[in-house]
Amino acid sequence: MSLTLAIAVGLVMGVAFGFALEKSRVFEPGIIVGQMQLRNFIMLKVFLTAVATGAVVLAVLNGFGFVRLQPKAALYAADITGGLILGVGITLAGACPGTTLAQIGAGYRDALFTLAGGIAGAVAFSYAQPSLAKTFLGEGGGKLIFTDLIGVPYWAGALVLAAALVVVLVALEKWKPWRDEMGGDVDGDLPHDQGYPAGAILTRPAE
Amino acid sequence: MLMQKAWSPYLAGIFIGLLQIPAFLIIETALGASSSYVTVGGVLASWIDPSILNNDYVARHVAATAKNWWQVALVGGIALGAFASMKLSGARRHAISPIWQTALGSASPSRRYALAFGAGFIMLFGARIADGCTSGHGLSGVAQLAVGSTVAVAAMFAGGIGAALLLLRRI
Repeated sequence: MSLTLAIAVGLVMGVAFGFALEKSRVFEPGIIVGQMQLRNFIMLKVFLTAVATGAVVLAVLNGFGFVRLQPKAALYAADITGGLILGVGITLAGACPGTTLAQIGAGYRDALFTLAGGIAGAVAFSYAQPSLAKTFLGEGGGKLIFTDLIGVPYWAGALVLAAALVVVLVALEKWKPWRDEMGGDVDGDLPHDQGYPAGAILTRPAE
Repeated sequence: MLMQKAWSPYLAGIFIGLLQIPAFLIIETALGASSSYVTVGGVLASWIDPSILNNDYVARHVAATAKNWWQVALVGGIALGAFASMKLSGARRHAISPIWQTALGSASPSRRYALAFGAGFIMLFGARIADGCTSGHGLSGVAQLAVGSTVAVAAMFAGGIGAALLLLRRI
């Protein structure tokens, strides 16, 4: 595939991705921090729905032989160490690497600093990578998927996962309806039952 | 529908999940975001330190391959899409989300900017150690039933919840 075509496809897909991220409100710091404080579950709802959809899509595409799966290698020490550090970063940024760009598009100025910090972090990692790869972080196995462990075809496992996620999502929606989690300004900044006065914050003038 | 301020998380989630179709069919890869930071960072760093291109990891990420630059375009497109959606809905945002004043106990923009830079740094450092983020390991890895990705996503939520409970005030 030509580079130009790949970039064009990426741009079109990115615009669609950014559009959906914005409409879902999952890029809002209030929704991401709210999820990590177990107060708001919009992030989990969007995430699990996208995973379930992806699983069905890939069950079909892979089951009928149109595409090969592209799982990453299972490097447990790196997955756990990196995942923990990444999680701390997500909470303090109020964003993940993809939603940082949605925040920039939506006009959050602090996201420009998140982006700059992210690029600096990626460069710092690049310099450290040759040494880190020789430590415990480089240890691990190959590309492992759950269905290979139990010896069933991927498509069957993916459909079971999708069905299980639908059950979880139905229960989640029953417990916490999504409309109640948006907040007055659709940013996950919910009224407080006690403690910090949310009103004082909501009336802060736009800069 | 394009002018609504919010979609149901289920509708938006289905929409995002369907993006795996063109990713796998056209680019032969899965949705992801964090390796584009290495591609862009590698190019920027090479202007100051050209020797960084001798680093295999950087060379692999800045190479003129469809996958590398497709992802850079994807991530750039996210900003455009979010901007368009925001304009269509007529929503307005503060320069800094009002939740930070509560979460940090400070209204100082410079404090927030400094924290955002530091948070972005550790976010990408962690994502590159784990070889993926909420998109690559989360959306794509879990959907592919990848064992390592599932472990990574559990660690992300553990780290994120721990930090939110220990370091931030309740929003």
